[in-house]
Amino acid sequence: MQPVDQEKAVQARPRPASVASVRNLRVYFQSKRGMVHAVDGVSFDIYDGETLGLVGETGCGKSVTGRSFLKLLPVPPGKIASGSIQFKPHATCRNCDGNGCPSCEGTGRQSAANSRGRSNEKGIRDSVDAEIVELLEIGREEMRRIRGDRIAMIFQDPGKALNPTLPISEQLSEVFLLHRTSELLEAAGLPASTGGALRRFASQEQRFGDSLLMALPPNRAFRNRLVGALNKMVIEALGDTQVPNPAKLMARYPHELSGGMKQRVMIAQALACNPDILIADEPTTALDVTVEARILELIKELQKKRRTSVLYISHDLSLVRRICDRVAVMYAGKVVEIGSTDAIFRDPRHPYTRGLISAVPSAGARRGELAAIRGTVPELVDPAPTCRFAGRCPFEADSCRRFEPELKPVSNGHAVACFIDSAAPSGRQPTFQSAAV
Amino acid sequence: MTESYKPSLQPWQSGEARESALRVRLNRFMGLIQRLVSNPTTVMGLAVIVSMIGIAIFAPWIAEPNFPDPYQMPRDWGAVRKPPGTPGHILGTTNVGGDVFYGVIWGSRKSLQLSLMVVGSTVVIGTIIGSLAGLLGGWVDEVLMRIVDVFLSIPELIFALAIAAVLGPSFTNIVFALSVVLWVKYARIMRAQVIQTKQNEYVDAARVIGDSKLNIYLRDILPNSITPVTVQATLDMGNVVLIGATLSFIGLSEAGIAEWGVLVSEGQAGIASGRWWASTFPGLMIFLWALAFNLVGDGLRDALDPRTEGR
Repeated sequence: MQPVDQEKAVQARPRPASVASVRNLRVYFQSKRGMVHAVDGVSFDIYDGETLGLVGETGCGKSVTGRSFLKLLPVPPGKIASGSIQFKPHATCRNCDGNGCPSCEGTGRQSAANSRGRSNEKGIRDSVDAEIVELLEIGREEMRRIRGDRIAMIFQDPGKALNPTLPISEQLSEVFLLHRTSELLEAAGLPASTGGALRRFASQEQRFGDSLLMALPPNRAFRNRLVGALNKMVIEALGDTQVPNPAKLMARYPHELSGGMKQRVMIAQALACNPDILIADEPTTALDVTVEARILELIKELQKKRRTSVLYISHDLSLVRRICDRVAVMYAGKVVEIGSTDAIFRDPRHPYTRGLISAVPSAGARRGELAAIRGTVPELVDPAPTCRFAGRCPFEADSCRRFEPELKPVSNGHAVACFIDSAAPSGRQPTFQSAAV
Repeated sequence: MTESYKPSLQPWQSGEARESALRVRLNRFMGLIQRLVSNPTTVMGLAVIVSMIGIAIFAPWIAEPNFPDPYQMPRDWGAVRKPPGTPGHILGTTNVGGDVFYGVIWGSRKSLQLSLMVVGSTVVIGTIIGSLAGLLGGWVDEVLMRIVDVFLSIPELIFALAIAAVLGPSFTNIVFALSVVLWVKYARIMRAQVIQTKQNEYVDAARVIGDSKLNIYLRDILPNSITPVTVQATLDMGNVVLIGATLSFIGLSEAGIAEWGVLVSEGQAGIASGRWWASTFPGLMIFLWALAFNLVGDGLRDALDPRTEGR
């Protein structure tokens, strides 16, 4: 990829629409010593089709932020105190009815902002009909329809994210049964009005006695057709992740697969329904480097094909630099800097970001020289309204300990929460020259 | 995308993949059986259990059923207190003319009934209550577990005895009393297991794809929590008969029925006068039954332990 082409592409494309906007999200955890402000007023947008990296050290709230999208927090002790996550699901492209055309880059999808009203006649059937969904306020049933269908997630350790007692085929077919019942019935040649035990079979809502009903002659043939159609869907989903011999893999149990294979299965499951947003919570941390590279390539490729936005949660800066379009740096429950990957890495404006970037060891650095950030992450129990990085920051001045910096834009699409670029109300201002060292 | 899902004749449409998944499942089960039979004491226990169940099933062919109630000991007033080896009464008779052989054979039916009914009901009740406590947590957990604590604070034999005594002497009441007392163990085990299992990432993964709570419980949590319950249930199959026999022995079931505990009780008066057989043979059966299920239970625990899987 040549940088020049990329820049041209960025200029040529109109300002992208956001598929999700997080506004002032606060997630608190009740602990014995008080409220832990795990996420404290986080705001960012995920643009259509982009990869947004969410970077920060352990415990800075990046995973909690990602999990808030799907209401996956342990409640109690977790509590979403305030904020909103607005999700704008994709619509079927109006120019081609979901068949793929140049205007939607062959994906058959179109971001909600570009479409006027949603067409649901043909093609991808969206289970979510609203144009804007407030993820933090919708009910459990609505959330269930979004999960796995419009927003999917991949976990850190594929070894733990698969049920050891079920073969791969069962775990993958679950997604289709839950979200693609009508397609399944259609593929099996059954009318959409099918009801009773067959429909329950195709939507994973079996009742007691249904399995007997399905095994008897009139339903038996239909069941086999459904299973055939289901298997075909599963094989297609697995095939997309480039696993060798997907048909054979289906009968395997998770413990018989390697870590990379398991992560591919997870990716197949996550992307099975063409989600609008994929939340990847350090998906390659448990894998070795060669497998990691292939998995990342895979995610990238599938993402492009489906116009999926990815929220990539990671602590690995070099990796984020490689795959993300934009980066948000989190520190102690706050986004301290957000901007395009290029801007962040070329001209980091927040001292924490600078510290992080210089802490990444490079091949050219002298031996024995690791630029660590001094100090440790502050406790997040009822934090005082100061800059969270004060105390570890080499440039801090006394205003940093009196006021809390807010995210302010420094250039187009690049915002920083630091008094270096936007002065504090009063007091001595920090500058990059005032290094205390 | 949807266009490509039209049915066409493909190899996988025969449900082949599903069936091979079944085959893998079968293989896993066979692996478990293999680990079980690699342990000689387990094999011994299994052999005893199989023959005991065989005896229970074929009881009407082994000893001609008494009319009208086969569970009532037949009375042969012409042959009272006969020693083992008497023609027609291989294991002797009791002091009221009951055939000890008949009691031993039909007593196995009673024991099988007792253990299946008690273990069956306690496993179901305990699993449901333990799962509810583990899944819901909070005050539900608190209330249920305090109830369990109350049950556990009374020794199980004394508790069962009290209930059976209040309800009056009958075999059904013993079954009921034991069920009331023994479910708490399973509730405890299940709660701990569910709490542990539900923290697994695959439970989150199932939530992430939009699975319902019931489905997550049935597909992800239950199968991954049930193992210790099966081990405990196997052990209890033996223990229940032991406790049941104790209750029968002290007269909490109907007198004169073909039940090992009752037989031991009715025969023990004669031991001092040298008529050892009326108590010994049913007692031996109780011992074998309890031993066999304990051996198999231990073997099952070892075989299901993931740490021993590779061996």
